[in-house]
Amino acid sequence: MEYKSSGLIDKYLRTRKIPSTACSGCGLGINHKIVVQAIAELGLEVADVIWGTSIGCAGRQTFATWKGDGFAGTHGRVYAIARGLRIALRPEQKIVLTVGDGDAFGIGLLHLIHCARSNADMTVIVNDNLGYQSTGGQFGFTTPQGAKTDSSPYGMFEHNLMSEGMDVMHILRGAGATFLARHVAMDGPAAVESVKKAILNRGFSLVHMPYPCPTNFASRHLGSRDQVNIYRWIKDHAAPLGQERNDTIWATGVYYDASNSRPEFSEHVWNAVGKIRRTGAL
Amino acid sequence: MKRFLETGNFAITEGAILAGCRFFCGYPITPATELAEAMSKRLPQVGGVYLQAEDECGAFHLCIGASLGGMKAMTATSGPGFILYADPFGWALGCEMPLVVVNSGRVGPVSGITGAPGQGEFYLTRYPTQGGNFECVTLAPNSAQEAMAMVVEAFYLSERLRMPVTVLADQLITDGFEDISVPENEAEMTEMGFKVWPRKTHPGPDFYPATDALDIPPVQMGQNTGGLCSDWTPTEEGYDIEEVEAHHKHAYRLIYKVRNNTDLFSQLLEKKHLDDDPDLVVVSYGTPSRVVNTAVERARAEGLNVGALRLINLWPFPDQHFKRPAKYLAVELNWDGELVREVQRAAAKDSEVHFLGVCGDLPTIPDLLEVFEKVLKNQPLQRRGWQLEAW
Repeated sequence: MEYKSSGLIDKYLRTRKIPSTACSGCGLGINHKIVVQAIAELGLEVADVIWGTSIGCAGRQTFATWKGDGFAGTHGRVYAIARGLRIALRPEQKIVLTVGDGDAFGIGLLHLIHCARSNADMTVIVNDNLGYQSTGGQFGFTTPQGAKTDSSPYGMFEHNLMSEGMDVMHILRGAGATFLARHVAMDGPAAVESVKKAILNRGFSLVHMPYPCPTNFASRHLGSRDQVNIYRWIKDHAAPLGQERNDTIWATGVYYDASNSRPEFSEHVWNAVGKIRRTGAL
Repeated sequence: MKRFLETGNFAITEGAILAGCRFFCGYPITPATELAEAMSKRLPQVGGVYLQAEDECGAFHLCIGASLGGMKAMTATSGPGFILYADPFGWALGCEMPLVVVNSGRVGPVSGITGAPGQGEFYLTRYPTQGGNFECVTLAPNSAQEAMAMVVEAFYLSERLRMPVTVLADQLITDGFEDISVPENEAEMTEMGFKVWPRKTHPGPDFYPATDALDIPPVQMGQNTGGLCSDWTPTEEGYDIEEVEAHHKHAYRLIYKVRNNTDLFSQLLEKKHLDDDPDLVVVSYGTPSRVVNTAVERARAEGLNVGALRLINLWPFPDQHFKRPAKYLAVELNWDGELVREVQRAAAKDSEVHFLGVCGDLPTIPDLLEVFEKVLKNQPLQRRGWQLEAW
């Protein structure tokens, strides 16, 4: 399928929010386009998708960009709102959430885990700008070890969810997620393919997508706001799963695909309600 | 009409179902647990969904989600859970999402005693979240039967005012067994004064008009109306905006849609022996008001010039009932005094305002009578140390 922004914008986005208020050189737009491209390639219409967002760079910049219905939660809560909304929506309606790393893996992790546990049908796109950038640039829970940020001036040294063999993907898989993938923003068509699979899974899907932040992350860690440096730095530290090098931070690809392997949350709940209503028991 | 000897939790459950609630999400906490249990049994029988969330913050957010999808939703908790509502409560106020919140008060602070009644959330139900620039509605029943009625009323108000409405009960109301009548059809509901307002879908695109108008349906997701709602200051269409004028429009609506429509709930109170303008007016709400009512009857029989004002609509505070200079005595289930502060604020010039706080238990009739007499005779009310001596 053609990879043309103007066509995607005309069909799916509100021009009022395009261009966004993101910083010059921000990589979020690339991730955003990957998601909209995936929706377009699946042939979905505006009415088929309800778009939720969080706070922070990723949430605020993508809020109200979708031409259809859109909602935003406070810090870390959009997953719980989406889980309640899932009960009220029709099964064929898709929920797509574009959120940030702090929102998903920090303050919202409990709600996120319970969405995975219940296999609630939603696609969570975690746009990871390697820390809390809208508050000026503090480290988060997937910030690479050693990264210099405003709150880790000596280098980030805390144990986190992407170091020493730990991976937030393991937590989500253990919690019951049925589709998990990781791509950096530069993965292009491969990322689009993963997002398509995520949306097609009738259950809980999450795609972790690190993207470049030239303004805060790069300026502190690389000492430069030059976009080329941070784009290259992320690309150099990413490699497809199975082809990791010693300095690979992000192994990219599909981590886990158990799409449509177990009952989806709302379907499961409504089936139980129907049965109790009819027979008085489960 | 079906009659039961049942708990307030049962009554609240039946009231919610009568009001059209088909979604409940909670988290176990004494003394609101039985309400969740009753919901888990009853909701599937009427085609509704009961869910147990990861915590109270999650529970309220799931209710928000269900309401955002067009379902009438309710959550219930006690003080330690109510405090976790702070975050979603703000969202629901700001996004004008109808839902009903039940709080069964127990003695605090923090976890306190699980099985003792308390009234420590009087102000918390007025200021349940940060930021200001909003008004809240709180209803406080004093019996199981009235709890049912107030839950129906809360759903009605939440739809018309497009906001979360709190029913503030206490452990004795929710856990206590009482004689309860449940209407079985619309005629019986009307007879009992139960009003139901259906959920409608907002057609868009002006989701947050800067007016105090009632009866604007809330934003709904999934109807392809282009509905927008977020935690940020909205434009009238729902776009997020960093602009003070937009904020003024939004704040105006959040405050004045309630303040300019108080006739919706201002009749929710009970007066006892107030017709002859008694020297002493005893002010209370919730369970202690039942003891107060009895004590006032006794006091009258003994010739004391006392009346009782029981508030059901707590917020916005009904200042209009305190315009007559008199002696006011606030009786409430805490020692620090919450209700009494509002009475002090609202009381007419030249009034005297006194306070009788009881902690973890109900006041006794002899205590109340002694205090009534002292106040009427201008004798001082004093406490010495934590072990209360006689008044």
